[in-house]
Amino acid sequence: MTVSSLSDFSQLSARAIRDGIVSGEFSAAEIASAAYSRIDALEPDIHAFNELTPQLAEEAAARIDAKVAAGELLPPLAGVPAAFKDNMNLVGTHTTCSSRILKNYQSVYDCSAVRRLLDAGALPIGKCNMDEFAFGSSTENSAFGPTRNPWDLDRVPGGSSGGSAAAVAAGMVTVSLGSDTGGSIRQPGALTGTVAMKPTYGRVSRYGIVAFASSLDQIGPFTRSVEDAAMVLNAIAGHDDMDATSVREAVPDFTVGLGDGVKGLRVGVVRDMVDLEGCAPEVRAATESALATLATLGAEVGEIDLPMSQHGLAAYYIIGPAEASSNLARFDGIRYGYRAPDAADVLDLYMRSRAEGFGAESIRRIMLGTHALSSGYYDAYYGTAQKTRTLITREFAAAFERFDVLITPTAPTVAFKIGEKAEDPLSMYLSDVYTIPLNLAGLPGISVPCAKSATTGLPIGVQIIGNHFDESTMLRVASALEAALALDMTPPLTGI
Amino acid sequence: MSISEADVRHVALLARLALSDEQIVRLQAELNSILGHIEHMQALDLEGVEPTSHSIPLRNATRPDVVRPGLSRELALLNAPEAENGAFVIPRIVGAEEGA
Amino acid sequence: MAKDRLTEVLERYEAVIGLEIHTELTSLNSKMFCGCPVAFGGEPNTRVCPVCLGLPGALPVPNEAAVEATVLAGLSVECAIAPYSQFHRKQYFYPDMPKDYQISQYDLPFCGFGHVDIEVDGDGVAERIDLDAAVSANLLERDSDGYVTRIGVTRIHLEEDTGKMVHVGGSEGRISGADHSLVDFNRAGTPLMELVSEPDIRTPEEARRFAQKLRSIFLALGISDCSMEEGSMRVDGNVSVRPRGQVELGTKSEIKNMNSFKTLHDALAYEIVRQADEIDAGGRIVQETRHYDVGAKRTSALRSKEEAHDYRYFPEPDMVPFEFTPEWIEGIRARLPELPDARRDRFVRDFGLPKGDARTLAADASFADFFEEAVALTGPSLAKPLVNWALGDFSAYLNAEGISLGESRVTSAMLAELVELIGDGTISGKQGKVVFVEMTTSGDAPGAIVALRGMKQVSDSDAIEAAVDRVMAASPAEVANYRAGKTTLIGWFVGQVMREMKGQGNPGLVNEVLARKLDA
Ligand SMILES: [Mg+2]
Ligand SMILES: [Zn+2]
Repeated sequence: MTVSSLSDFSQLSARAIRDGIVSGEFSAAEIASAAYSRIDALEPDIHAFNELTPQLAEEAAARIDAKVAAGELLPPLAGVPAAFKDNMNLVGTHTTCSSRILKNYQSVYDCSAVRRLLDAGALPIGKCNMDEFAFGSSTENSAFGPTRNPWDLDRVPGGSSGGSAAAVAAGMVTVSLGSDTGGSIRQPGALTGTVAMKPTYGRVSRYGIVAFASSLDQIGPFTRSVEDAAMVLNAIAGHDDMDATSVREAVPDFTVGLGDGVKGLRVGVVRDMVDLEGCAPEVRAATESALATLATLGAEVGEIDLPMSQHGLAAYYIIGPAEASSNLARFDGIRYGYRAPDAADVLDLYMRSRAEGFGAESIRRIMLGTHALSSGYYDAYYGTAQKTRTLITREFAAAFERFDVLITPTAPTVAFKIGEKAEDPLSMYLSDVYTIPLNLAGLPGISVPCAKSATTGLPIGVQIIGNHFDESTMLRVASALEAALALDMTPPLTGI
Repeated sequence: MSISEADVRHVALLARLALSDEQIVRLQAELNSILGHIEHMQALDLEGVEPTSHSIPLRNATRPDVVRPGLSRELALLNAPEAENGAFVIPRIVGAEEGA
Repeated sequence: MAKDRLTEVLERYEAVIGLEIHTELTSLNSKMFCGCPVAFGGEPNTRVCPVCLGLPGALPVPNEAAVEATVLAGLSVECAIAPYSQFHRKQYFYPDMPKDYQISQYDLPFCGFGHVDIEVDGDGVAERIDLDAAVSANLLERDSDGYVTRIGVTRIHLEEDTGKMVHVGGSEGRISGADHSLVDFNRAGTPLMELVSEPDIRTPEEARRFAQKLRSIFLALGISDCSMEEGSMRVDGNVSVRPRGQVELGTKSEIKNMNSFKTLHDALAYEIVRQADEIDAGGRIVQETRHYDVGAKRTSALRSKEEAHDYRYFPEPDMVPFEFTPEWIEGIRARLPELPDARRDRFVRDFGLPKGDARTLAADASFADFFEEAVALTGPSLAKPLVNWALGDFSAYLNAEGISLGESRVTSAMLAELVELIGDGTISGKQGKVVFVEMTTSGDAPGAIVALRGMKQVSDSDAIEAAVDRVMAASPAEVANYRAGKTTLIGWFVGQVMREMKGQGNPGLVNEVLARKLDA
């Protein structure tokens, strides 16, 4: 095959790209230019990127092609076009977090996960749009304008890693990295019909990703197949001595056993989550149907309630903003970032630089988090949330005594219209009701497409939850479901 | 527990945000709405429950006392809004001198 | 400050003092949470990285050696080591603090519940007015020289130091009046150990002794150079006064910028008198932070904003807790060196040194090591003259040159050799002084200097007799006067003989021969 056809390129898996380069079917440089051609065509409508990095991509491609010419062994993701959420540092790029306060900020060091993906041979195509500082579930809270869902340009791609999701969904890149604090990978994954994974907390180094909530953040991939997700995780997982919360757990080859099927696996559906008020009937139906498929494949499907997880959203909206308010203190106009002009003194400089530099949602969360930690309120808010977190973690631990994986919807609805929830922070927060408990408990979760809406044709995802450090079993279930459903998740891209 | 306008102003100062009166009023309403939705959590019986800072039971994560290369001064100052003689420039400081 | 003014005030008021002592762990290679080197000075912003500059995305990883050093310090002052501890974030905005929060410890510090016993002797004893009443349970011992009192150590925790600012356009580099400031983050992230004492200190002298004692302990542990001048040891004091007999504590003020032991004493003395005067005049003390002006010898209030501090401490989410097992703690304890008190006692016991000399020597571990190296060469019989040299001319030389032991031209072996040359009569003590000066400039060994200069002391009695005879023959009038009873002339004769012998005559022998011949 050739790569002259854009649609061909957009269908290729990571493995197919590497194999094609190895066999000489095409070069890494051709892959890079195919990616940029597709971006040229689609980006004006979708706006998945804050920055494109053709020079970095060309250099990386040239290194791969030189290895081919020299007959050297290629790394596992050789020539695979990759994009990174714009909260990940990469030398030679800006890292803006889609915020006015970091608009001109240039990275002076590399995020470890990004570095590992590039060391595995991936081509850095660009930096993706996001909700400012990852605060949001729609990628509308970007200082540089919203990203649109490739399935319907009037709709959001989800968020906060909406740019990373849209870039993969639209076939502009093969893989991308996002960050997930309360669902910011999985929810946009569901809304764009991509495979989207949050690994176990501590599995992937957080060094170099601009922190939102340090105890919840985790980097993970968007891909168009479960196998690609496993390959990306292979590249980025493992201990990093630059991150004190990164674990030393052994890292298996996550592609091993993907095809082993689900026979005999104990699959628990979280009944009270599926039945949650606010979960769209079509999402509920899609989840039930995915379960039925797994049962057909030989899984032992059972039911469980996780009543403590109902409090997850509340705990999250204290812990997340509290940590964020602290993590975002450093954006003060002293060493980098936006500085308000003509400050009378340092206090004035702080007050105006931050008020002018941060967007509305960032200010809301900083205020909420500062209040929750302030004198006299700590116990009622932060302390209570951390104890609730204990109960949620225990509840999951008990559930994993009975089940190998748990199943919930990923998001309560399909992609919503741009602007639909913009004025109502609470309804926006509810988008993450299924994903948040995992961050609190540190568990891995993956969203895989399980249906398309009968009315809108929009993708619906199902969330598979694994036990701590058992991404392998989770990926195996995801892979079985993917194979059995055999859905075509190519967005129609009508109107482009 | 609802948050008063004075609370909002106090928090804004703590967070170093120069907010307009309009913003203060809107934030008061929004914060109260959000805090109202977490009251069910505060009603939980959490007697004797230990708080969890991290869900992963890691302990004693340290690094060996080894020097690693840092940044050149050019890179350190690359993003500085204002620099002079290799240092970051800030306007005058009014108020208390803090210490470690 | 006149001493009697302080004692006069202390007769009526009791001072209650607690100290906070910040010590940079300067002997570590790298900073608290990153791999940048720990060093003093240098061009601004040349020892920085993403972590200590607080760049977006950078994460702190604690330095293992800093944790160990802090636990070692805790054990050295009898602290309990917490089985479970962690770092917290202390949040406030300040331009020298890159992340706008300081990683510190809050309710779960590494060490707590310790104590240090301090000896007060000499002039400082007079400050302790209530000594005879012995009201303090902490008073352990007293004798004619002074007393020993116990100061509680509330806690020792670990944190990161801030950067440094240079204030431009104001006077003397102070903040007030400055036009703008320059920030250098070289120091940011230096491991900083904070020790908080109980308010067990009653006099400025006790405060000074306490700080000096901690310095001597930390030097012995080898964890810091404890330089108050360079700021690697910084002492803040909380001080209040209350009328004698009153149980309720007075309102305290916090004194900063005491950058020498003398300043520490003087600033606290000033503040005690100031507070007493304020109360005497019917005023009241406000809780505030005050800055000591070394030039003006007074404290003054720092301008402070109305905003009350709310540090919003919470557990550092970029780090995980510490759990120390008893085995691990015992492993650290096994590293404890001989501490200054034990070393002092050994010096007294083994070398017969006066207690004061022994304490001075033991207070500076590397100085004590220097002494021990020398005494190993000379043997204990020369320990006393060795100490006199070490604390006398040798210390004076280091101070005058402003150099450390490591930079000294005079090694312990050289000093030992000098003391031996004097001890065995090869040269006189007076010649020794000349030789010592030569050692400090040339770096030559004393034996070589003596040989080169032909400085050997003449103990040959024939030569001395001959010289005495020559002097007596040349001075018949003086001989007559002497013999007529003006025996004070003996000194003049010694001088003449020594000049005749070019200063090399053994003074003891010269005296002896002169006396014999003149009295004959
Ligand atoms: Mg402190
Ligand atoms: Zn550093």
